Amino acid sequence: MSIGRDDVLHVARLAELAVRDEDLPRLVDQLNRIVDYVAQLDRLPAEAAADPQAGESDPDDPFLPGPAQVTLRDDVPGPVPLARPPAEFAPEFAEGFFLVPRHGAMEDL
Amino acid sequence: MSAAAVARDTGARLAAADAAGLNATLYWSQELLDAEARRVEALPADSSLHGMPIALKDNIVTTDAPTTCASRILAGYVSPYEATAVTRLRGAGAMVAAKANMDEFAMGSSTEHSAFGRVVHPLDPSRVPGGSSGGSAALVAAGVVPAALGSETGGSVRQPASFCGVVGVKPSYGRVSRFGLVAFGSSLDCISVFGRTVDDAARVLAAMSGHDPLDRTTLDRPSMRRPEPRRDLRGLRIGLPREYFPADLHPGVAAGMERARRATRELGAELVDVSLPHSAFAVPTYYIVAPAEAAANLARYDGVRYGPRRIGAAGGIQALYQATRGEGFGPEVQRRILIGTYVLSAGYYDAYYRKAQRVRKLIADDFRRAFTGGVDLLLTPTTPTPAFRAGEKTGDPVAMYLADVFVCAISLAGLPALSLPVGRSEGLPVGAQLIGPFFEDEAMLAAAAALERALGADAEVR
Repeated sequence: MSIGRDDVLHVARLAELAVRDEDLPRLVDQLNRIVDYVAQLDRLPAEAAADPQAGESDPDDPFLPGPAQVTLRDDVPGPVPLARPPAEFAPEFAEGFFLVPRHGAMEDL
Repeated sequence: MSAAAVARDTGARLAAADAAGLNATLYWSQELLDAEARRVEALPADSSLHGMPIALKDNIVTTDAPTTCASRILAGYVSPYEATAVTRLRGAGAMVAAKANMDEFAMGSSTEHSAFGRVVHPLDPSRVPGGSSGGSAALVAAGVVPAALGSETGGSVRQPASFCGVVGVKPSYGRVSRFGLVAFGSSLDCISVFGRTVDDAARVLAAMSGHDPLDRTTLDRPSMRRPEPRRDLRGLRIGLPREYFPADLHPGVAAGMERARRATRELGAELVDVSLPHSAFAVPTYYIVAPAEAAANLARYDGVRYGPRRIGAAGGIQALYQATRGEGFGPEVQRRILIGTYVLSAGYYDAYYRKAQRVRKLIADDFRRAFTGGVDLLLTPTTPTPAFRAGEKTGDPVAMYLADVFVCAISLAGLPALSLPVGRSEGLPVGAQLIGPFFEDEAMLAAAAALERALGADAEVR
């Protein structure tokens, strides 16, 4: 599979990443090199690749790769262990809200 | 030696390392070290890490120093909370000595991808210390601190430990809280430890391990204890996975492994041939899964919530995001965000990400089969070569990724593993990797201590 200049620009837009024109040829080359390399997974027959969620779980080894391992905590709000209260590190904090500048007034820091 | 004297001595060593051009630290100060000493002196003198200075990779947050992840996009960031691992180490009497240089956002295998310059190998300035936790490894190897924290996503502690000739331990996934570790690949990330000795690393790991309600992926099991070192390896079956001993293995690494094999046998272990057939797919699998998770995790650095902000030429909020991220992230981070976004994008998700998740399961199943088949531990080289030269692999991202060919399968499987120095080839350290079954970190460390005693790490191998 080949990645072209337009593919890189499309993915960069999805990733909210400004890419300079002079960097594009290098990025096209390198992304093609990486995608060609990872494409070797195609050598595995489809049926060989098991569903990560399938099979019996082992209580001594509960590790499941990827998102399958995530367990959700009870939805009970608790204090966040901050060393300093938000009012100290947010420029302005009022009635439980962070006050931020209007976008039009943002300055280059 | 009092904690105050250790703090002064550590400051002098850090200053000497900086003066020598190691470039291994991103932040330290004598004032912070002295404050740490005063805090520790108020703790019971028998605390398990009393007065031990420890360096932290700069992706582990503290409230009294900046955390930059070696990235311009986090310039000046100071966390309002502290990592659970650091809180536990401080509670056990450790002193935070420095924040260590690293590959930007832990993406790299040589610590050449830091926005603040490359870290120099302590034994040969023309070479890399490995990565991404290269600053932490170099500080331990140079004798600046006895132990340091790094982080692993795909081998970023074991690989630099091997290159620098120190011990590097990656615990089982879920053993140490990730709360306060800046996220890269959340299903892979593990805070891990460097030590000059197995015992130093084991003490640090024991002190920071255990369930943390702030990280739901930590397991609610008893904390790890400092293991009783074994006198020998009698009764253990140690597997040698044939896929990890290719014919083109560097001769120095092969000689180091022969030495490790002989010592293991002399200590009474039975060595058996095993096969982990899907490990051959570990690097391509990793370079789909990890960038995909990274692309999602790094979406938060947008110029609004963190760091310096750039106004894009086109104006508007999206131009601000794009300009900030385009200027704030270095080339390797940008590459991984682009690859991660690509493999998750419409039309490619099944071909790449879903497939990689399935292969990841096959890789983990290989290990499970080996361990349930009667093997207690696995022994492999940690890296295919000793430390390579700076600049040697920066032009070809895939060549750099292959430096992790023996370490990243273990990360995908969530297993504990460590790198132990087993000798030197033409003066450069060679490491052997021991891999344990899930949550058998203590047994793995106990065996490593026996092997460590039997092997002189500084011996030249041929």
